[in-house]
Amino acid sequence: MHLVVQACILGVLTGGVYALMASGLTLVFGVMRVINVAQGALVILSAYLSWALFTHFQVDPFLSVLIVAPLIFALGVGVQLVFIRSLRSEQAEELSLLITWALALGIEGVLGAVYETTYRATNTSYANSAWTIFGYQVSVVRAYAFGLCVAVLVLLYLLLARTRFGRSVRATVQNPSSALLLGVNADRVRALAFGIGVSTAAAAGAVYGVLYPFNPGSHYDLISRLLSIVVLGGLGSVAGAVAAALMMGVVEAVVAVEISPVWSSFSYFVVLVAILLLRPQGFFGARERTL
Amino acid sequence: MKLARIALAIGLVAALSTAAASSAAQGSRASSTLKIGISLSLSGDFSDSGKAAMRGYNLWRDVVNAHGGLLGHPVKLKILDDTSSPTQVVSNYQNLITKDKVAFVFGPFSTLLTAPAATVANRYHYAFIEPAGGGPAVFGEKLHNVFFTQPAPIIDSADVFAHYILSLPKSLRPKTAAYPSLDDPFASPIADRVRTLLEKKGIRTVYKTIYPAETTDLAPIVSKYAAMKPDLVVGGTQNNDAYAQIKAMIQLRFSPKFLFFSNGPNDPAEFPSKVGPQNVNGIFSSGDWFPQSKAPGNKAFVAAYAKKYGKGPIDPTSPEAFAAGQVLQLAVAKTHSLDNGKIITALHKGSWPTVEGVLRWNSIGEPQGSDLLVEWVHGKLYPVYPKKIALHAPFAPKPPWGKG
Repeated sequence: MHLVVQACILGVLTGGVYALMASGLTLVFGVMRVINVAQGALVILSAYLSWALFTHFQVDPFLSVLIVAPLIFALGVGVQLVFIRSLRSEQAEELSLLITWALALGIEGVLGAVYETTYRATNTSYANSAWTIFGYQVSVVRAYAFGLCVAVLVLLYLLLARTRFGRSVRATVQNPSSALLLGVNADRVRALAFGIGVSTAAAAGAVYGVLYPFNPGSHYDLISRLLSIVVLGGLGSVAGAVAAALMMGVVEAVVAVEISPVWSSFSYFVVLVAILLLRPQGFFGARERTL
Repeated sequence: MKLARIALAIGLVAALSTAAASSAAQGSRASSTLKIGISLSLSGDFSDSGKAAMRGYNLWRDVVNAHGGLLGHPVKLKILDDTSSPTQVVSNYQNLITKDKVAFVFGPFSTLLTAPAATVANRYHYAFIEPAGGGPAVFGEKLHNVFFTQPAPIIDSADVFAHYILSLPKSLRPKTAAYPSLDDPFASPIADRVRTLLEKKGIRTVYKTIYPAETTDLAPIVSKYAAMKPDLVVGGTQNNDAYAQIKAMIQLRFSPKFLFFSNGPNDPAEFPSKVGPQNVNGIFSSGDWFPQSKAPGNKAFVAAYAKKYGKGPIDPTSPEAFAAGQVLQLAVAKTHSLDNGKIITALHKGSWPTVEGVLRWNSIGEPQGSDLLVEWVHGKLYPVYPKKIALHAPFAPKPPWGKG
């Protein structure tokens, strides 16, 4: 029992970080039907930026979010304005896949040239500390990372639920044409939403580097996980992405402890397939209306 | 020992003087350059190691040319980039042998690329002296032209740790062991061999698992074996999963009496920065080469390397590649010939002193030596076993995290 609870703690903490990366991905899809397969590469890019800030200027990775996130936000807005906006809407979904994939490979290539393929890790003084709570070990960085992710998710929620901009985003998700008719500046909303979506990757990237070693090729693994989380949560649903990420974290950790690590990723995908068979739209996804 | 060294010195002098004599005898023809072809991963996934191999090969070329080349021929290296691809490496060696008509070839980086490349070299009856293909895929081809220039095949690399454990008096030996290993042909078989050796002598296995390569989060696995409190943890690992396991152990406050990982702790440049320099002490690993190693000519190699490339950590791939050059140089001197067939025959006999130690091979190119057991002592990595190469006595049990 002790082991299972310990595994659940680990799983929830890990899931929190994935929740943050996936929330941006699902938001971008919801607003503009763009599947941003560069989300993983942007996480790794941010991990490198925060690693560089830590190594050269001793900036704490959790503080470096304040520097890295705006940079990635600007990059995201730029990419949206230059490459994605010009896509004609009926092809946007397919073509955006190609564009963001090119972006991912471009980022990987640049990182490979600048930093080579050696694995890096951001090692803060508290990287290996842990608190003992009721006999369970809670890693300090994982707890901080989880805290940061919750904080960013709450901010994201407030932004979407409570602000005028958030209302225009949600209106664009629900019905782009009506939103346009009601005076929502769809282009502006899309660019900003893309920027916000990728800056969640920036926040998660800063903490990713503290938790795991990474190299320019680490994004392949990440994006496959993120896509499965987004699908499980329901495309476009931020709450769904959070729930799915936490579920992934817990299922994988518990299976690794109780059965075998060989089955941990596999059993998550079994759960994924089972849930999609019962609820094809995912946890919180809207069912497609058919005529 | 002293006698052997003198004999070696005489041998080398004799070899060099015969080389000089034969070059003089061959007159003007001898000054023509001799091309050696190599394919290396200068881009792609293995580019860091590929470049390290290139530094080793280039350094050897400088050294051999400063000593008059091979039988008087200055050596020129023709290096092609294989982009870390096992298909590109095949066409590279095809081109080097058939189009560039190089006199010799050396191996590329990693088993993945060495296995197909060795087959090409074998087809054209070229000796394949190779520094970095030590996995079963290479030796499984059973080629007689392959010579791996490290002391032992990769999957035997942790045997030295088992021998060390069994050399301890029974009261000091661990009683229980856990074997968490990566699902990789270079990782889990290493730990399996150690497990077999230790189980035979009564060290009980309380946990073993093989985790898939995509496992980034090792904390659940570590929490599982930490709960069983084994005295010994042996992981067949690559670097990252070793770092991740150690970080998880520190966070879960589990410190076994003995800790061995087949990779990760043996990287003096990266390891302390990955797990924190205060946590390295008492951790074992093994390896083929260390800067302070007493292998023949190693001191001169380290000095020459620092002169050419600057001080700083040396990737072991560089001395491995350098050793490939040394082996060819010695074989050419011994046979007085640039004929691949004669060199292959010669290399199957006798032993060959290199910066990787004194090497000798069986008929399929598996080196017959043993890797060095290394341990972190007071924040530094030392060879600690077998005794004759040790620069520090091994110490155990491992101190708690952050101590020692």
